[in-house]
Amino acid sequence: MSTKVGDIVEEFHTDNKMSTVNNHHETSRKELEDASRLPALETAYTDILRHLGEDTDREGLLRTPLRAAKAIQFLTKGYHETIDDILNNAIFDEDHDEMVIVKDIDMFSLCEHHMVPFFGKVHIGYIPNKKVVGLSKLARIVEIFSRRLQVQERLTKQIAVGISEALQPKGVAVVIEAAHMCMVMRGVQKMNSRTVTSAMLGVYLEDPKTREEFLYLSRHT
Amino acid sequence: MDRSKQNKYSSNEKKDNGDGGSVLNGHFDGMVKRAAGGPQAPAAESAPHRSTSAVMESWKEERTRSLEDNEMSLPSLAAAYTTILRGLGENPQRQGLLKTPWRAATAMQFFTKGYQEKIIDVLNDAIFDEDHDEMVIVKDIDMFSMCEHHLVPIFGRVHIGYLPNKRVLGLSKLERLTKQIAVAITEALQPTGVGVVIEATHMCMVMRGVQKMNSKTVTSTMLGNFREDPKTRDEFLRLIKS
Repeated sequence: MSTKVGDIVEEFHTDNKMSTVNNHHETSRKELEDASRLPALETAYTDILRHLGEDTDREGLLRTPLRAAKAIQFLTKGYHETIDDILNNAIFDEDHDEMVIVKDIDMFSLCEHHMVPFFGKVHIGYIPNKKVVGLSKLARIVEIFSRRLQVQERLTKQIAVGISEALQPKGVAVVIEAAHMCMVMRGVQKMNSRTVTSAMLGVYLEDPKTREEFLYLSRHT
Repeated sequence: MDRSKQNKYSSNEKKDNGDGGSVLNGHFDGMVKRAAGGPQAPAAESAPHRSTSAVMESWKEERTRSLEDNEMSLPSLAAAYTTILRGLGENPQRQGLLKTPWRAATAMQFFTKGYQEKIIDVLNDAIFDEDHDEMVIVKDIDMFSMCEHHLVPIFGRVHIGYLPNKRVLGLSKLERLTKQIAVAITEALQPTGVGVVIEATHMCMVMRGVQKMNSKTVTSTMLGNFREDPKTRDEFLRLIKS
């Protein structure tokens, strides 16, 4: 079955006006399109450099617009990817119904408000319901959703919902702890502050003890 | 460390264009040039210091960007960011992105606000005559910059040491110089030596490309005593290690 994740995300947004917008947001961006969009991005970056007062003809900056354009395409490559693509072969039938945790997954994303990086760690836990997933797939799911223009709250929810939709487990828990460069490098300039968000689905939402076990194991071991 | 690249810092350009034109990036030379009094006077006034001109000869004039420039460039910068959003396949009209081009443009101007500042302005009022001639170190200065190759942040720490020669610098001023540090201090104080070590994480390496999480780039510059006397250099490097 292949309901698009975008449909699931829709349900979770209280503001229904967002739904059509989110569908567009979730549309796959084909890789060939990347190459064809590169010139426009390059021009935009050249403009930016000039308007910041730099000299785009100096040696260090000559190829910067191209490099910056490719860099930002890389940092937003999650738009290309869907869960179906990466998961299809790696779901296994197992009789395991204890908690599975993959923690300290490094995550890099771009804040959609300032287009400045935010990065940190993702901890994922789920309780299988006869189906387990290859562990690295959880990290790949993080990649799909984090390599986009994001808001940490939405990122957390999308990861949780993505796993939930793919595995139909008894519960999914996702915690993200990140540093936002838009707060560190500018604005309030608080060096050490971290933002923590979480999403709890299924038994993690309903049963406090399960939730507690996950939070303990993901932080302390 | 390659001594012949004395005047190069982390991500700065390796060679200048060679003409005395308007290349900037906060580079400045030892020549005092004064434009006719406008608010954008491109002069980098500094004590003409011929003995360091060999080190300085590739510095170019520093053009300051003004606040008026910032305001005037904002619409074009925002337009460029809107183009980028479209080029990435995003929808600039969705709620989360509506004002993003403006926020991103202002953020970028903030990240490059060094172009608006002149070193001489930063330093001038905080140089004091003192008879102190032992090493002065300020370390663990948080530093943020942008990689000029990928326009992705760099952040890390700067450690500065110098041996005063009758003139010391207000310590907080050391914090405000995160580029061209050693030369600027030399210009301002003529100390008997300056050492600068920068260790930084380049997001262009961590978030993309080789994607090495824990790699750090360390660069250093040693001038004067710090360069010539190994013991002085050792003492400085040991003291900043802890």
